[in-house]
Amino acid sequence: MPGVLIVEDDKELREMLKMSLLRRNFTVLEAENGKAAIMHFKPLITDLVVTDLIMPEEDGLKVVIKLRELKPSIKIIAISGGGKVGPGSYLNLAKALGADAIYSKPFSINDLIAKIEQLLDNEHLN
Amino acid sequence: MKKKLEISDGNDYLKFLTREKDISDQIINHSRSMITIINRDYIYEKVNSTFCNAHKVVLDSILGRSLGDVWGHDTFQNAIKRNVDICFSGKTVQYEATFITPQSGKRHFEVVFRPLSVESGKITHLLAETFDIDDLKTTKQAVKEKEEEIRKIESNLPIGFLRCDPKGKILNANEAFLTIADCHDELSITKMNLKSFYLEKELFEIQIAQLTESHTKNFGRVYLKNCYGKEIPCRISGFLAVNGSGTPAYIDFAVEDCSRELMLENRLLQAQKLETIGSLAGGIAHDFNNILATISGYSEMLHDDLPKNSDLSEKVSRIQGAVKKAQSITNQILTFSRQVEQEKVLIDVSEVLKETIGFVKSSIPSNIVLKSRISKMNANVLADPTQLFRVFLNLMTNAIQAMEENGGILSVNIALVKREFVQHELNKDIVADEYVLLTFKDTGEGMEPYLIGRIFEPFFTTREVGRGTGLGLSVIHGIITEMEGEIVVSSKKEKGSVFNVYLPVSKSYSSVTSKKGSMKKILFITGNKYESRILSLALESAGYELIFVSDGRNFVKVMTNIRERPDMVIYMSDSKQIKPEDLVGIFRSQKILTPCILISDPNQDISDEKLLNSGIINQQLTKPVSLKEIRNAIQELLR
Repeated sequence: MPGVLIVEDDKELREMLKMSLLRRNFTVLEAENGKAAIMHFKPLITDLVVTDLIMPEEDGLKVVIKLRELKPSIKIIAISGGGKVGPGSYLNLAKALGADAIYSKPFSINDLIAKIEQLLDNEHLN
Repeated sequence: MKKKLEISDGNDYLKFLTREKDISDQIINHSRSMITIINRDYIYEKVNSTFCNAHKVVLDSILGRSLGDVWGHDTFQNAIKRNVDICFSGKTVQYEATFITPQSGKRHFEVVFRPLSVESGKITHLLAETFDIDDLKTTKQAVKEKEEEIRKIESNLPIGFLRCDPKGKILNANEAFLTIADCHDELSITKMNLKSFYLEKELFEIQIAQLTESHTKNFGRVYLKNCYGKEIPCRISGFLAVNGSGTPAYIDFAVEDCSRELMLENRLLQAQKLETIGSLAGGIAHDFNNILATISGYSEMLHDDLPKNSDLSEKVSRIQGAVKKAQSITNQILTFSRQVEQEKVLIDVSEVLKETIGFVKSSIPSNIVLKSRISKMNANVLADPTQLFRVFLNLMTNAIQAMEENGGILSVNIALVKREFVQHELNKDIVADEYVLLTFKDTGEGMEPYLIGRIFEPFFTTREVGRGTGLGLSVIHGIITEMEGEIVVSSKKEKGSVFNVYLPVSKSYSSVTSKKGSMKKILFITGNKYESRILSLALESAGYELIFVSDGRNFVKVMTNIRERPDMVIYMSDSKQIKPEDLVGIFRSQKILTPCILISDPNQDISDEKLLNSGIINQQLTKPVSLKEIRNAIQELLR
């Protein structure tokens, strides 16, 4: 099954995401911040990454840039609870930097899973 | 011991006389004045060297000649003779004259003619003394000019100047002080003591005592009470002058009205406070959104696991409803702390205001009159029209609630004002040459002054528990600040409140995001006409082409016509033209696959359930919808 990496500093939210993905039989990898995500990135088994944006150590924008660099075909979904850099939001910035989809928290987990499946399905079709 | 002069013979006497003449000649010649002696025939009998030097002549050219000869016949007859004759009649004559001397050019002189009695008590000669008073005159003139200048400064400066006796009785006061005291009768002011203007009389006594100690003192801010009892914050300094013996002579006071400065200071303080609260609340909202995402995720999973329509699944739905409510609060906090990105388009504020007024009028209580005169003007600002609608609606709703019990008048006005005016009113960074000033004035219950500074704080509310979250004004503050505008409140208990909203006018002629919509066609099934108009205003400004339908038949016609067929349908759940079940029916029977966005009203979600379960809705948004949200939804679906 495709591997999904969850990068989220909030432990409960990470657990919830993990459980919902496991229910759909995804292989789940976890990182508690951007730095760990980049350092322990496993390109061969990671097909998609769901990353929070505002995190300690390296933030999610760095994750988007770095992982896209390390594995250009990777799918990226950014999730955020708000926050702005200059006039634009973090989420829009993430999108501009190459995230395939963005969700602001709180989001519908079913919508998110549907999006993940859609992105990975397209991948398989290609 | 004095040595007495002794004269014993004629020879001695002659010596004595010679000596005396010598002395008097020297005195006369060394005098700084020009001295001459003139006899009754107007002939110069004596002329001193100062005279000769000043006129650059030798003694012999004057001595023995007549005044007419020396000064010219006309000058003598017209300017000199009369005074000389008066002097010969026994009076001292003194006058000022201007004449040109070869040595110093044109200068002012003082001329004195004194009668001299040389023989037997008769006046035989006169002594003419002429002093150069030019320097004196220049100095006097300069002093006069200086005095005039100081007087001008004193009367024109917006600082009150007072001279008081050592006890504080006002001796005189300048115009500025009369203005501060709001008393325009200088006479009645001079009958008063400065103390009577002090809010705290004891303070004045203390200050007088301090002045006796240190003579000059800046007392900082002191509250005065003007002639009408109004309190005015003033900055006061005193200077005590003493006379020769060291006792106090008088006290000068400088009184500066600092109410504007105080007002601006307070406003800055409030802005800083709101900024601090904003970043704090923004941080909390961010954390809360994480927690809400967790709750929402688990309850969704739980909902999926439970049999449909079971008692447990109903309870989970309620949890999800609560999450939605909580999300709306965190969203409002994020808007207040300006953490939400606003999509801005170029929009005429007066259009949005007109629609809001229409919306409010449809539900205004009968005891409240709404007065507004909104003329068409070019009040173009960069804004999200839906957010502006929210701002105006909230301000009007607040005003109406303030008058709910006793009724009253809500006046709404819009005007364009110049930057100078705004600068003076707000003392802030000015970002545009022109501003739109929107005024919302009610005659409601008003506020105590101490409340005014706090009303924009989140969760601060003067209403009883359960009526509003206390976020409305905070959200408004966030939206206006994000637009680089400002909102200013003034209020009086029992009289009412005035909210002034300043928004910078945008000079760019084309909409910033005009090309973004790339003319995608959207079929808009409208609900409430005012809200719909705002939304269509927003979408059109963002570059979408909107199509409207009047009923179901019309809808079918548009949807089945290839040329007209839209790229998307937006359906407002309170639509009167097409009912939800009809919409579903048409979509199904015509096999329509066009993406559809539902905008639902949080107060009536029963009918929305059917729509959501029908499978024709691709995205659901809940009112109030921002332009940003709806654009994101459109872009997502049209990708």
